[in-house]
Amino acid sequence: MFCTQCGATNADSATICVQCGRNLQPGAAGVPLQATGVVMPPAGTTIQNYLVFAILATVFCCLPAGIPAIVYAAQVNGKLQTGDLAGAQKASNNAKMWCWISFGLGLAVTAVSALLFMARILGGLHHY
Amino acid sequence: MSEKSNRWFVVTALVAGVAAAIVLRVFDPATAGIFPPCPVRYLTGWFCPGCGSLRAMHRLLQGNLREAWAMNPLTVILLPFLTYGLASHALYELRGRGLPQPFLRKRWIEALCLVIILFGIVRNLPLHPFDLLAPGAMLRP
Repeated sequence: MFCTQCGATNADSATICVQCGRNLQPGAAGVPLQATGVVMPPAGTTIQNYLVFAILATVFCCLPAGIPAIVYAAQVNGKLQTGDLAGAQKASNNAKMWCWISFGLGLAVTAVSALLFMARILGGLHHY
Repeated sequence: MSEKSNRWFVVTALVAGVAAAIVLRVFDPATAGIFPPCPVRYLTGWFCPGCGSLRAMHRLLQGNLREAWAMNPLTVILLPFLTYGLASHALYELRGRGLPQPFLRKRWIEALCLVIILFGIVRNLPLHPFDLLAPGAMLRP
């Protein structure tokens, strides 16, 4: 069977995922795992933390708006850790929103600086 | 989003990514002048954590790891993880589940955030050895 959280292949008799430690027993969703202290969300829920996009947005688009995206991505995992699914979903939405804000701002600033760059080249040509 | 539009989205992103990689392999961002300058660098004169990453990727695409590392070590370190993450997101869109991912704890993500910010600050310091982190500084004799 496949793990519902990470997609790793596990033996059909497995009780926890070999890859991520998720509880694979159907009735046992949400039960804290003693080994890690992680409360696993009920089977079938996937809450994206958008961490990959948050990092890309921070490094490539707009640092100031990318930071909240990473912070919210961290909150998603922090809340999943304590079993707060509603909170995790909310943080997930915020992370996504800040990724888009960062992307939009980065695009706008790039466009403006490209215009300034062009204007400087054209202005330079004008003087000659 | 329906499954079909998901597929189109992933295919479009993939084609765009491959096209960008080809352009980036052929043209050196350091000299070509077709790539926009980093807005942070252009407006403030400071290096951002991502400065040098296009040049680093250009060199990586040409197989020169040493020069890529000199342009932006953070990019070289993060790139495999980001590629894996993007592949996982793409597979998630296509078939409903991504690649195996270890559960990243809140602290690790916060630490990563701090590393990115500190890298951005430190590479602007005019002190040796921090100045080696500025794009290309390690290549200077």
